[in-house]
Amino acid sequence: MMFKLKSAWLLVAALTMFTSAVIADEGKLATGTEAPIGEQDKYASVQETLKTCFSCHGEKGASTIGTFPTLAGQEFYYMYVQLKDMKKGLRASQVMGPIVAGIEKEDLKLMAEYFSEQEWPKTDYKLDPKRIAAAKLVADAGQCAACHLGTFKGNSRVPRLANQHPEYLKNTMHDFKNDVRKNAPAMGTLFKSFSEQEIQDIADYMSSFKGE
Amino acid sequence: MSKFKEKGGGTLIKVGLASLLMTAGLQSAFAGEEVTGGTLFGDMQTVTQDLLDNAAGDANNFLHTNANYNQTRFYPAEQINRENVHNLERAWTFKMDVVDSLETTPIIINGTMYVTSSFNHVYALDAKTGKEKWHYQHKMGPITTYCCGPNNRGVQAYEDMVYMGTLDSQLVALDAKTGKKVWATQIADPELGYSETMAPTIVNGKVLIGTNGGEYGIRGFVKAFDAKTGALLWTFHSIPEDSTGVWAENDATGLYMHRDIAAEKEALKTLGDPYKTLGGGVWQNMAIDRDNNRAYFVVGNPSPDLYGAIRPGDNLYTNSLVSVDLDSGEKICHFQYIAHDVWDLDAVSPPILVPVKNEDGQTVKGVLHGGKTGYVYVHNASDCSLIRHSEPMVMQRDRWVLPTKEGASMLPGANGGVEWSPMATDPNQGLAYAINLHQPMTYHVEETPYPEGKLWLGGAFKVIPTEQQWGNVTAVDYNTGKIKWKVKTQQPMIGGILATAGGLVFTGEGNGLFKAYNSTSGELMWQDQTKAGVNAPPASYNVAGDQYIVVGSGGNAQMNYKRGNEIIAYKLNKK
Ligand code: HEC
Ligand code: HEC
Repeated sequence: MMFKLKSAWLLVAALTMFTSAVIADEGKLATGTEAPIGEQDKYASVQETLKTCFSCHGEKGASTIGTFPTLAGQEFYYMYVQLKDMKKGLRASQVMGPIVAGIEKEDLKLMAEYFSEQEWPKTDYKLDPKRIAAAKLVADAGQCAACHLGTFKGNSRVPRLANQHPEYLKNTMHDFKNDVRKNAPAMGTLFKSFSEQEIQDIADYMSSFKGE
Repeated sequence: MSKFKEKGGGTLIKVGLASLLMTAGLQSAFAGEEVTGGTLFGDMQTVTQDLLDNAAGDANNFLHTNANYNQTRFYPAEQINRENVHNLERAWTFKMDVVDSLETTPIIINGTMYVTSSFNHVYALDAKTGKEKWHYQHKMGPITTYCCGPNNRGVQAYEDMVYMGTLDSQLVALDAKTGKKVWATQIADPELGYSETMAPTIVNGKVLIGTNGGEYGIRGFVKAFDAKTGALLWTFHSIPEDSTGVWAENDATGLYMHRDIAAEKEALKTLGDPYKTLGGGVWQNMAIDRDNNRAYFVVGNPSPDLYGAIRPGDNLYTNSLVSVDLDSGEKICHFQYIAHDVWDLDAVSPPILVPVKNEDGQTVKGVLHGGKTGYVYVHNASDCSLIRHSEPMVMQRDRWVLPTKEGASMLPGANGGVEWSPMATDPNQGLAYAINLHQPMTYHVEETPYPEGKLWLGGAFKVIPTEQQWGNVTAVDYNTGKIKWKVKTQQPMIGGILATAGGLVFTGEGNGLFKAYNSTSGELMWQDQTKAGVNAPPASYNVAGDQYIVVGSGGNAQMNYKRGNEIIAYKLNKK
């Protein structure tokens, strides 16, 4: 079971102005000044932009195409960092690079929050039982569960892998391996040590993971 | 020197609690007296400084994460002992809301128990029945950071509050009676990789807490906060501005570490001192010497873990035992086990203050630490110097071979020897009990600049999944360094251990078994199969005349042991 505590994302603003002052209560922690806003209004400023995202990432981020990662239900802080990294060029992406180039950080944050609040879509990827043992060896060797959690649903800065499209997972692991995706050096070294077959195995394992 | 007979029956020679209590000089009405009636529970008694000071002789409460300020994890009750431990049965089981890694040490005060789960939930329970009194769920900020699971190791109770550190690096103070938050303070910036999993240590109104973040390029510290207000009183930086040290070539056991010191010295000229992002988390409780007003703690690994070229020097005070003055936070002494570590063999198991024999056979105030190297280190407390180290408790193979691009294997691996798991001691027997891991790994290094608060390993650790893994429970005579007994376990051990005056040690395994061993011989005396990994340190207490043993069964993220959500309390079936 995982807990998602997204409503507190506004805290990012507070944290960047970090002080060690005593925080009196929960309300003030979430910046206090923000007036309560309905879900509708909250995303009004990015409504139109979100629609362009849907064209690739699916309605509300529930992607139906294997090369476009599912965003619906992905971790907020992870996505926000990715979008910032794409803007900075740390995560080079021919597709996403130009898209984020023209979007303000605040809007990137809002969209990351929007997607994180959607429900992860049901998928039905399967893995040939004969390949499970091989895939588990990869998961054990790389200790994936230590960071991505036993459910592989991630938390905060660590992304969900479970039930993500295998094609996307494979592509991005290749990008790690080949130093195309340079914004996560620890993942880079790890995937350099895995073979093509191992990457295929673990991609299929994660996408079909049912939580056993 | 055991007061118990070895296996084969005979009577248990009782050492009255009175003798233990006398040395502790008790003043509290509750400490030492075993509660006989049901009248006391439910009253969430104030935890006075006096109670905390006398915890070592208190056979009713369990007031510190590691049992007492000396962190001996020796519990003075003997109701459950070698003669009757086979009658130990479950008294109650409490299910928490979060099913994930469980590393909490229950704190028990006058019949009320405080436990925590992953993601910073706190529960107050009736220690007799396991019934919930209140439940607090920390409202987590968006940024949490951890290397090895969303863990929490428990609260510290003090006066009428309980205190917890959080994954988003806050210190929260709760009303002990209601679980309502009284105040919270930000300890450090989670965006830069700071987070909290340890229980705080509290002494004389000061809440002491370190930080996690050795995998993120933090600058480690211990901070002291005012228990009433949360105001910061002092900060000790576990990484000094001059972190270079003495360019040590060998580790604490005298083994050559293959450092390229000439290259490091060159690098220092161009890079400067790396102290700002050098890591050095302090993520386990400190031992407190009340007589000398000093704290002893160990400092974790340097950042990045595996890539050393970017951080020339000994990387003080990473991988060290450090002692500071409690009033000022000023350093008094330190001892570094591994200079310029590139294997993540950091010092983490909490140090223990106990009288030890020095080289001349004189008894001095000593400090014990169990290393990820698999050695127990014995220090002189006055100047931190090393008196001796034990025999190795786990397999050593190619130790200090340098990490390579393709991966080099060395034993112990980064999950090796004694991890964060606290040791226990039996001062009467002069034994320290450690639980160990054996997990073969390869170390991969890759040149990596500071990634601005992101995971910063400077390479990767890879378990060799085809090689056998195991663990053990080891009893070490700390006055000689010799291993007294060792019991092998099916899986690498992580969690902690408790020794009792009943002549037993209690510890759990990843496969869900919770076991009691004869503390003199290592003989297995009792076990219970639980539903998840037992990877939390056990505690003990007494309510209404019954001694209980309590432990969390919730598995472990770091070792990927089966997750669960149970707190299980055991007592004797007296029928
Ligand atoms: C033309 C198709 C397309 C559009 C439009 C698009 N994306 Fe993407 N997006 C991709 C692809 C392809 C990737 C994978 C990129 C890579 O790994 O290099 C991606 C990756 C991402 C990721 C990283 C996911 C992860 O798991 O790491 C995020 C976050 C994201 N997009 C958000 C958005 C947002 C927000 C928008 C709208 C502003 C958007 N995308 C519009 C194709 C698109
Ligand atoms: C030490 C912690 C750690 C371990 C171990 C680890 N990961 Fe990761 N992983 C991360 C973090 C942190 C990120 C996000 C990096 C970033 O911020 O860009 C990540 C990102 C990823 C991504 C990108 C997902 C996406 O949506 O684009 C994949 C795929 C991935 N990891 C797979 C794995 C696999 C498979 C393993 C085990 C073989 C593994 N990881 C082990 C911490 C870890």
